[in-house]
Formats: sequence, C-alpha cells, structure tokens
Amino acid sequence: MKIKIKAFANVREILGYEEKPVEVPEDSCVSDVVKILSADYPGLKSVSAMLLFACNENYCSKETRLSENDTLALFPPVSGG
Amino acid sequence: MIKIKFQKQKISISSVLGKLGTSADGALASFIGRVRNTSNGKSVRYLEYEIYDGMARKELERIMNDAVARWKLGGCVVFHRSGRVKVGDASIAIAVCSRHREESLQAVKYIIDTIKKKVPIWKKEFYRDGSNWITDRV
Repeated sequence: MKIKIKAFANVREILGYEEKPVEVPEDSCVSDVVKILSADYPGLKSVSAMLLFACNENYCSKETRLSENDTLALFPPVSGG
Repeated sequence: MIKIKFQKQKISISSVLGKLGTSADGALASFIGRVRNTSNGKSVRYLEYEIYDGMARKELERIMNDAVARWKLGGCVVFHRSGRVKVGDASIAIAVCSRHREESLQAVKYIIDTIKKKVPIWKKEFYRDGSNWITDRV
C-alpha cells in the first residue's frame, strides 16, 4: 500500500526530504515503517529512541496500524514557544 | 473567540492584543517569549523555527478551546514565528482575556506550558561554530 511520509527537524535532515510517498506492506504498523526507513537511512537509528509519530495529523504510537493513503509524520520532541 | 497565526514577519504586540474580548472582560493577560542570546553556555546568533502547520493548528486549537472552556475566556490569541528569528525578537505571543484576572493568568500559563509539550514546532539554534536542534526540552 502507498502512504506518505512527512519528516521534520533533525529527522527531515537525516532522510533528506520533507515529504515522500512510499510503498509499504499491507497492515504495516508505524514501527514496521521505521524499520524499512532505517534500512535505507541508517542515521535514523541514532534518533529512533526519541522519535514521535503522528498519523493524519494526530499523535499516534509505534503500534498504530496504517492504512492506504495515510500520512505518517516522524519528528523529535517538540521545542516551540 | 480564538485566533492562531504563524508568521515569518516580526510579531507586532499591538496586533496580538488588538481587539481581544469585549468590555465585559476586566482582565487581559499575555506572555511573550523572546530569543535569548545564550544557550548552554554558547552564544546564540539566531534561531530557526520549523512548524508542522496543519497539525500544529489542530493541536493549538485543542489547547486554546480547552482553555476558553475551562477559564471562560472572552478571547484567546497565539502568534508564533516561523523561519529565522533574531536574538531579542519575540518568538511567541499569547494573549487571553476574561472577566477577572485569576482566570486569565492561569490560562496563559496553561497555554504556554502545553504548547511546549504538545505543539509540533521545533527550533534550531545557530551559533558561531555550528547549530543544534533543540529536542530534549520539556
């Protein structure tokens, strides 16, 4: 199935893009996608412990199951204000 | 009732306070966050803010609507800078109004504290000898 990855801050710098469509197996959960991305971008492992996730603009967990056309955002802890 | 603005330009405090609330609101409280010139002993040249626009608006709306309901606010405004922000410039401005002061003061603290934990905005500090994403602060 096709999903859209969005990346912010240091995660965007590691992946080298802000937004990209990717193909992942049906029924993938967030942690499956992180594993797939880490294989192509080893730098992601250095920040994986602190990663936060959002599915379709709502915070979600590593265990969240994804559906076709979902947007999965990966980012570090926030630091606005 | 609530107003959110992300902007590259300087924040004008008068436009934040603007036409907030009505004459029924006897209290107006605000918080301005400014860019400090040092961080962890390093001299900061400037900051850059990155915002996940759609999600940040959703999260902010949730926080602000919660504050409006909880403290019966007459109005609530949050402005946040995006992109490069100079030392000394405001990075965020929050203003709320209510009938009495206690509600406004509590609401402003709740809003800024919750923004710092929940709203997907990130800052990168730029020094003379490099830069660093701030990702370990609560």
